[in-house]
Amino acid sequence: MLRFLLRRTGSLIVVLLVLSAVVFLLQQVSPGDPARAALGANASRAAVAAERHRLGLDDPLAVQFLRFLGHAVRGDFGTSYRTHRPVATDLASAFPATLELVLAAFVVALLLAALFAASSALSWPFAGIGRGVLLVVATAPPFLLALVGIVVFYARLDWLPGSGRGEGGPGSELAHLVLPATVLAIAPALAIGRILRAGLEATLAADHVRTARSKGLGQAAVLGRHVVRNAIGPSLAMSGLQLGFLFAGTVVVEQVFSWPGMGNYLASSIPTSDYPAIAAVTLVLGAVYVVVNTLADVLQTAADPRLA
Amino acid sequence: MRFSSIGRRTRTLLVAAAAVPLFVLAACSGGGDESGAPNAAPTDGTLTVGLLGDIGQPPDPDVYYANNGLAIVLNTYEGLVQYANDKDTVEIAPRLATSWEVDPGNTVFTFHLRQGVTFHDGTPFTSAAVKVAFDRRTAVKGGAAYMVAGVKDVATPDELTAVVTLSAPNSAFLDYLASPFGPKMESPTALAANAGSDDAQTYLQTHDVGTGPYTIETAKPGTSWTLKQYAGYWGEKSPFTTVELPIYTDASALQLAFDHGDVSAVVAALPSSSLEKYEGSKQFDSYMLPTLQSALVTVNPTKEFFRSQQARVAFLQSIDQKSLVDQVLGSRSEPATTLYAKGMIPGGADKQEITYDPAPMTAYAKTLPAGTAMTIGYASGNTNAEQMANIQAAKLQALGIKATAASYPTSQVFGWINDPTQGPDAFFDGNNGPDGGSPYMWGHVFWDASGGINYFGCEVEEVNAQLDQAVATGDDALYVAAAEEYAKTGCYYNLSYNKDWVVAQKWLTGVEESHNIGANELDFSKLGLRK
Repeated sequence: MLRFLLRRTGSLIVVLLVLSAVVFLLQQVSPGDPARAALGANASRAAVAAERHRLGLDDPLAVQFLRFLGHAVRGDFGTSYRTHRPVATDLASAFPATLELVLAAFVVALLLAALFAASSALSWPFAGIGRGVLLVVATAPPFLLALVGIVVFYARLDWLPGSGRGEGGPGSELAHLVLPATVLAIAPALAIGRILRAGLEATLAADHVRTARSKGLGQAAVLGRHVVRNAIGPSLAMSGLQLGFLFAGTVVVEQVFSWPGMGNYLASSIPTSDYPAIAAVTLVLGAVYVVVNTLADVLQTAADPRLA
Repeated sequence: MRFSSIGRRTRTLLVAAAAVPLFVLAACSGGGDESGAPNAAPTDGTLTVGLLGDIGQPPDPDVYYANNGLAIVLNTYEGLVQYANDKDTVEIAPRLATSWEVDPGNTVFTFHLRQGVTFHDGTPFTSAAVKVAFDRRTAVKGGAAYMVAGVKDVATPDELTAVVTLSAPNSAFLDYLASPFGPKMESPTALAANAGSDDAQTYLQTHDVGTGPYTIETAKPGTSWTLKQYAGYWGEKSPFTTVELPIYTDASALQLAFDHGDVSAVVAALPSSSLEKYEGSKQFDSYMLPTLQSALVTVNPTKEFFRSQQARVAFLQSIDQKSLVDQVLGSRSEPATTLYAKGMIPGGADKQEITYDPAPMTAYAKTLPAGTAMTIGYASGNTNAEQMANIQAAKLQALGIKATAASYPTSQVFGWINDPTQGPDAFFDGNNGPDGGSPYMWGHVFWDASGGINYFGCEVEEVNAQLDQAVATGDDALYVAAAEEYAKTGCYYNLSYNKDWVVAQKWLTGVEESHNIGANELDFSKLGLRK
């Protein structure tokens, strides 16, 4: 296990280095002018030239990359051209919001996936309707789903808030979380649910389960002791993958719901070529993706020791 | 095929597929306010103005050089002068200066300051603050620092008189001061106390040091801003003791919140496609307020397609201005008839002489090899410009030209000046304008390659020289001559005079009185509740 973790840590460093280089090179080849973005539309050419010098954009490429890397290692991603604040400060407020949204969406996704898989594998009555609804809803693009959610549950039914993160205590925060988390969770729920269903169906048909039943074990005991643990492996791997995708999915969902997270921050930074912000979000998301998948692998190994 | 012959799984899926839209339809037809009755007014003294998108830069008057954050800057700070509210012409009005004199040479400006004004830290506003504000603007070097670059000296003969001397004559100086991006008065005491190592820039990211009717109470950048009425304000006070400025990052979500009554007013943020819903509505008020903004066409003379002046002029003539403006912008604008913004030159002497005539473009198209390609650009996310670019591209396609409309991020658009050959052949701007109401500010930014919005560097030395002469003397005839000369390049078409479209709840009064031609935002202290 230790060797496995060391190997994964090494790959994390390699991934981040490659990402840093890619992000840095993209900044260089992008046609946008960050100095112009920092100063505004009507700034004169002379002011823009002075700003370019101040930002170090006229230094040699290698110098700029080493400076970028050195600062990034220390968690210093520079100052945002757009907000004029340190990017680390911006991320310190945006990352918790995104983490909250993603974790809530992940919980919703796991619950829906479990319902989807169990209802199908165990042939619950009328479960087909629920599965069908999930299938249909999951085919809608997230932005459309988000807008429909706002129109129905905020504008028409007045059950839930339509935007923002909520500031009136835990009840308000939870209410604000429901719609964006559910919209974000739908597609991953289906992906995880399908894998889990396949695992459950295969395991339920296995000899050891038949033997367990013939020994007189009840349904709950059979499922708990002999089915779930054997069936869950592939869906754990898929969950890790989907958790990583959830972070990427926040860009659209956070925008529609005005959720003040990293997705929104990234979406606002791209049109203004705010490279320090774009680079920082990319690196953070890259790191999160690798860490989450490593954790999923560890959990999978714990659930099925044969994989160790 | 009978329904029963379909497989069980498919049947279930079909039922679900039908159930989802049925539920949505049922939800949309139930609940909500279908009566068309106006939303109720707030009873807690809170005005909520929804902002579309993060304000981006901090609301520091010497740094902020963007759009919707002006709602914060202009309600927490004040300048010496401003543009007159509720007027569709460029007219300088008093603010912290009650009167002023300008010497005939446009070099010495004497301001008589308002008595009894205090900053939000309680210290009195005196003439000393004028020099401090100008000096800070120079030190911070923001995008609008040019407005005080020509200030040679600020003398303060007494506490309520400031004499500003410029190093060269500048008839646009009052417009610099009246501009929403112009210098604002900042408490010297608060600036010194919070100077840090960056001239208080860090402090002013979340605080203010102005004299305005409101002060920043809570700053949650990217989420919301809360302004609180300043009890010591010298001027009239509105019934709104708190102004909430929540940030919406999606126009549809903002519109739904407004319809729902959670937002009191929206300034210039809703799409043109929603015009029909609000104009003449019994539930909401809709206002079209004058601005200095225009929709514009810029032609790229460095591209082979538009190398000749005749080709550029033919292209501009092929644009059906009236139809395009009506179709895309509707009542949000009117076709421009002048080369500068509406009302900048008295009497409209700067007449724009482009008449719709597709024949020259048709003739030019016949001289081109079959399938000649050209691109019409627009800024990403600007749906009005996108529509206009697509309509014009379709017209050129009908002539056998392989015209396409393409979007470009704003940062890329402003980078073309470094190498205009990288830009498209022509560019449609949905909404753009100068910082202030002087014709110089218009001509300089759009026609001088060093001005900022001359994307393709199409300039004429003689025009720049005429503009320089005109700004020194304030001679309108020179401004007109410069504009007419520039129009000959075929690089430029002022398509429309754009307006600020404000939607407000029925209970909100004073919207027109709280708006001026330069600000593009509302003065919240002039808003009220309908009785």
